[in-house]
Amino acid sequence: MKTYVTQGFEPIDTLKKPGSDTPWTLKEKLLLGLSSGEYVKQLVRNPFNWILAIIYAVGIPIILGRFYYGLGWVTHSSYDYPWGLFLGWGLFCMVPLSASGFMLGTTVELFGRKDFKPIERLGLLNGLLGYFFAVMFLQADLGQPWRLIYPMFVSLGPAAVLFLVAWHVATYLTVQVAELVPAASEMMGWKAPKKFVKSIVLGLTVAGIILSTLHQGALGALFTYAPGKVHPLWYSYSFQWFHFFCSSIFAGLSMLIVVSTLSKWFLKWRCDADFLGSLDRITLGLSKGASLALITYLIIKLTAVAHDNEWGLLFTGWGQWYIFELSFGVILPLILYTVAIRNQSVAVARFAALIAVLGILLNRLNTALITFNWNLYQEIPHWREIVITVTIYATYILVYRAVLYRLPILYTWKGESK
Amino acid sequence: MGIKKRKLLGLALMAAMVSPWSLPGPATAEVFELDSVKNLYEGVSFDHDMHIEITGEDCTACHHHTAGTAPVDPLCVTCHANSPEADDPSCKSCHAKDVFDADNMKKNWDTPLLHHRNKPGLKAAYHRNCLGCHEEIGAPTGCTDCHAMTEVGEKFYNTGKYAPEPTAAGQGGGHH
Amino acid sequence: MKRLNRRSFLKGGLASGVTAAAVTGSVGKADAAGDFGGYPDSMGVLVDLTKCIGCRTCEAACNKEQNLPAPDKPFTDMSVHDEVRHGGLPRRTSEKAYTVVNKYEVEGREHPLFRKVQCNHCQEPGCLTSCFVNAYTKTPEGAVIYDPKVCVGCRTCMIACPFYIPAYSYSSPINPVVKKCIMCYDTRLKFGRPPACVEACPQQVMTFGKRKDLIDLAHKTIKSRPSLYLDHVYGEKEVGGTSWMYLTSQDAPFGEIGFDTHLGKQPIINYVKEFLAIVPMVLTIWPALFTGFHLLATRKEAKKNDESVS
Ligand code: SF4
Ligand code: SF4
Ligand code: SF4
Repeated sequence: MKTYVTQGFEPIDTLKKPGSDTPWTLKEKLLLGLSSGEYVKQLVRNPFNWILAIIYAVGIPIILGRFYYGLGWVTHSSYDYPWGLFLGWGLFCMVPLSASGFMLGTTVELFGRKDFKPIERLGLLNGLLGYFFAVMFLQADLGQPWRLIYPMFVSLGPAAVLFLVAWHVATYLTVQVAELVPAASEMMGWKAPKKFVKSIVLGLTVAGIILSTLHQGALGALFTYAPGKVHPLWYSYSFQWFHFFCSSIFAGLSMLIVVSTLSKWFLKWRCDADFLGSLDRITLGLSKGASLALITYLIIKLTAVAHDNEWGLLFTGWGQWYIFELSFGVILPLILYTVAIRNQSVAVARFAALIAVLGILLNRLNTALITFNWNLYQEIPHWREIVITVTIYATYILVYRAVLYRLPILYTWKGESK
Repeated sequence: MGIKKRKLLGLALMAAMVSPWSLPGPATAEVFELDSVKNLYEGVSFDHDMHIEITGEDCTACHHHTAGTAPVDPLCVTCHANSPEADDPSCKSCHAKDVFDADNMKKNWDTPLLHHRNKPGLKAAYHRNCLGCHEEIGAPTGCTDCHAMTEVGEKFYNTGKYAPEPTAAGQGGGHH
Repeated sequence: MKRLNRRSFLKGGLASGVTAAAVTGSVGKADAAGDFGGYPDSMGVLVDLTKCIGCRTCEAACNKEQNLPAPDKPFTDMSVHDEVRHGGLPRRTSEKAYTVVNKYEVEGREHPLFRKVQCNHCQEPGCLTSCFVNAYTKTPEGAVIYDPKVCVGCRTCMIACPFYIPAYSYSSPINPVVKKCIMCYDTRLKFGRPPACVEACPQQVMTFGKRKDLIDLAHKTIKSRPSLYLDHVYGEKEVGGTSWMYLTSQDAPFGEIGFDTHLGKQPIINYVKEFLAIVPMVLTIWPALFTGFHLLATRKEAKKNDESVS
């Protein structure tokens, strides 16, 4: 793509062909205005696609095998670790990293911070795709994925935390689709849907906050069902939901910084001046938000240790690991963010974001897998389980990229009144 | 200990009493078949005389408080210190064969006698009574030491003719 | 501008209102579930571990009663008592075995002690309260049964069971289901008959009866032989009480024969209540709060606009 753009090619960003009145056809829009041949050429030229191809060559047969031979073929069939990587990574890590949707919606639509507008759609998209793929991971993990809608309509267990997660993720996915309808409508030249969504955007945003607060928290609350199994340092029956909720705030914001940085590096041709020009300022703005959430999180984490009087546990092996998680995943990014804000250094902010994202991954994997059953034994996922996880995640990246190529997320559709 | 002490007392009492194995019923036989609960295993051929000898003619060692001799178990003593010999001191006269029969379970639960509420059925009475001593004095304790397994039993225990094909697989769960 | 605001506010309020109604209703039920102390006349089993000889007859009986697949080794094979699985642990319940008997050599004891493991049929089961399709039922007879027809296979029940009981038939691609002891509900308990394992035991290690009678019996049994029994009826109070309860010997306390003695008396659902309690709060307070924020934030902006215009 970069090559074409340097050669003077301009990807489609209007409804009608420049200088004329004929509209672009859908195919032309999907191919960004390139011919099929040119499009394939750029696919082949991109080394990242080769990596994807290798992942798929290995991953797709194994995914098919998972549905043909059953879960026992791809996992250790553990009764003690009923949840493996699919949920540990796919649900518990993906969802907090996708909290950017409701954060940005709230900032822009609710608090009227129009200065974050250029990144709002990226935030929403990051949310939508993250959730969508979390559901895909869930589908890989469920014993009977074709019964996914049972908790909604067939047999309801409304007192269960997972019931709340199911309903909220489903509703929230709908909300996020609705929030991104304007982007699609612009591209397709539809007027009515965009207008309609605009009229209910506040309702959607408030619904987004409620749903997010609850299901981000609920993912934490799921572990309160296992008081003896999650290590006490990672367990707090009063604060678990709040830990998960609060950390999802900086997780979502940091992930958004990471994604916007990647877009700036690899998809520069698709970003418009508005996006590129404001990104540094916005990154620092997001950093401020993230650092506030980080410090709150740090305080409630320590409060939980104090509340359950677990100081003694800090001196055990697990305690060292806990201290490492907090210092690497929370305190380090907090310091980095503070330095970044003080020195107005975007580079440091980006590095901080990366560390914060890694920190969240560590925390969620610690809770769901590593410290789970701490007094039994540790389980290393089956290699096929790892391959499937990588494959689904690769698909997430692929879809992410495809959408960014086309929909007006990083750029503004021309001929639109703002 | 208990058994030795009882020996003298038992002998003395025994002399003054009608000898129990002059009574009618299986107790008169020297060796008899305990086969009323046979199913998975054949019945047990039980040498009563030999056990009398081994226990030093202490009937209470097995018959708790129904042999007319003073019971050993302090729990029995609370009520049966002076109980006379029962009309039928055989195991099955007190320990129900169909212990899990609804009526029997009800009868057990409804009894005002605390220590009889949980009275074992015939099968458990045999096993509990026998195994303790057998273990203590080094007598046989393996299942088939006393009774041979029937075909029903082989099927039930998946053994003998019905043994599973040997596989390398474990019970499932965890690493294979 | 103002009109649009009010309209969108109403819509927002409505949307969240619907969710609020749906979820507050459910929380009401959760609270009720938490206060549920079990059915008064439910049945139970008292297991006297001092009497178990580890013969595995109960395992065989369960296998036949529940039509489970043939075992890997005959039930007469006692080498399973020395089997060690991952993590140095003894055998556990699996998709092929709803109950297993494990051997424990306890220091200072001449003989090993055996422990039979199966579902404890909790009064307020973790498995049941965590299931989002209501696949589990605690029957008035005391059994915790499971409906494979609605199970989605999320396996939260396996996370939530404090006793590591439910297993999952991972090997089945088409119809994997949870596999666990159902207290022989449909073949026996329903008709007032004791479970197959209880009946088969040659030592009658297990007593079947009303749970409240069993508790009484258990304490009287302990009192009648205070030098033999440990003065603790495991399952009377643990995690809110269980239908299966255990007695052990003085010299083999529960902690040394594989029982988790740190479970506490609270049913599992109580640990989750803290979160369930905030749900209605968020649902009712958040909409008002954030719409308020919005009005404040935009009023300032509107004012600024006005000022800059004038
Ligand atoms: S059948 Fe009875 S004695 Fe044998 S292992 Fe089972 S509980 Fe123990
Ligand atoms: S022991 Fe486990 S599986 Fe059985 S009822 Fe209790 S929570 Fe459920
Ligand atoms: S109660 Fe029934 S299902 Fe449960 S272990 Fe005993 S025989 Fe098996």
